[in-house]
Amino acid sequence: MVLLSAPCWLRSRLTDRFWRVQEVLKYARHFRGRKNRCYKLAVRSVRRAFVRSTKARREKKRFLRALWITRIEAASLEHGLKYPSFISNLLKSQVELNRKMIADLAIYEPKTFKSLAALAQRRRQEGFLAALGDGKEPEGIFSRVVHHY
Amino acid sequence: VAKTSLTSPPWPEVKLPDPVEEAKYHAEVVQKVNKMIAMGQYGRLFAVVHFASKQWKITSEDLIMMDNVLEAECGDRIRMEKVLLVGADDFTLIGRPLLGKDLVRVEATVIEKTESWPKINMRFWKRHNYQRKKIIVNPQTVLRINTIEIFPGL
Repeated sequence: MVLLSAPCWLRSRLTDRFWRVQEVLKYARHFRGRKNRCYKLAVRSVRRAFVRSTKARREKKRFLRALWITRIEAASLEHGLKYPSFISNLLKSQVELNRKMIADLAIYEPKTFKSLAALAQRRRQEGFLAALGDGKEPEGIFSRVVHHY
Repeated sequence: VAKTSLTSPPWPEVKLPDPVEEAKYHAEVVQKVNKMIAMGQYGRLFAVVHFASKQWKITSEDLIMMDNVLEAECGDRIRMEKVLLVGADDFTLIGRPLLGKDLVRVEATVIEKTESWPKINMRFWKRHNYQRKKIIVNPQTVLRINTIEIFPGL
């Protein structure tokens, strides 16, 4: 005779409930209110906190780039240049510093930043002169004064 | 002819300085800087180095942490070759885009290779019974910049 069902007094009982709960509560200890003590409220808060931290890691890059651009704009305006002309002229002069470096240089190395701004300004003026050319009219076009005979 | 609003263009006229005089001035400046480097009249040097796909502003004796693995053992000396900018108190050498290897020498030592703290990646959609939790541990390397040297090769 094979007895297939287990007898009633043998139950599988959870013995490490305390540690499973502590694993979640340890991330909630610095929260405000009952969510730092009560498991049911803490689970929801901790889950939202994790999701928000993953999304924030992607947004941090965008935020920092905007911060650097603001700082570079402020520093270049002090030297009489606007941000788009500063960056475009630096790139045209083959200087490949990224925005993080230029912002750090503007904060900690003001003389170096001034020389970079002067370089960008000079390249800008050379660009204008190259675009204006000689100042003569192009060939093959007769002048606007037309004589009727 | 009287001057109207259209005689001259509305943008300010730009005049570049005389090229011959400019070349003389540039040669003078380069000679001065060369002499300063040869005499060693600079204090602390800083450099902007492109390393591990990031740009770092470094001086001697400082620590750098990279979020990846370097194929060098702990204690190996490394020479960083892509130097974009070198500067001291009175002069800066700006590379277009890199400075020559015979001008600057940046040496570093690998100090430790560890793993980052366990970052938690969690995705959750409400009311759909969907949540995924992943623990990401990145390998990290710590380097100490030993020296930055420049040679008078302008």
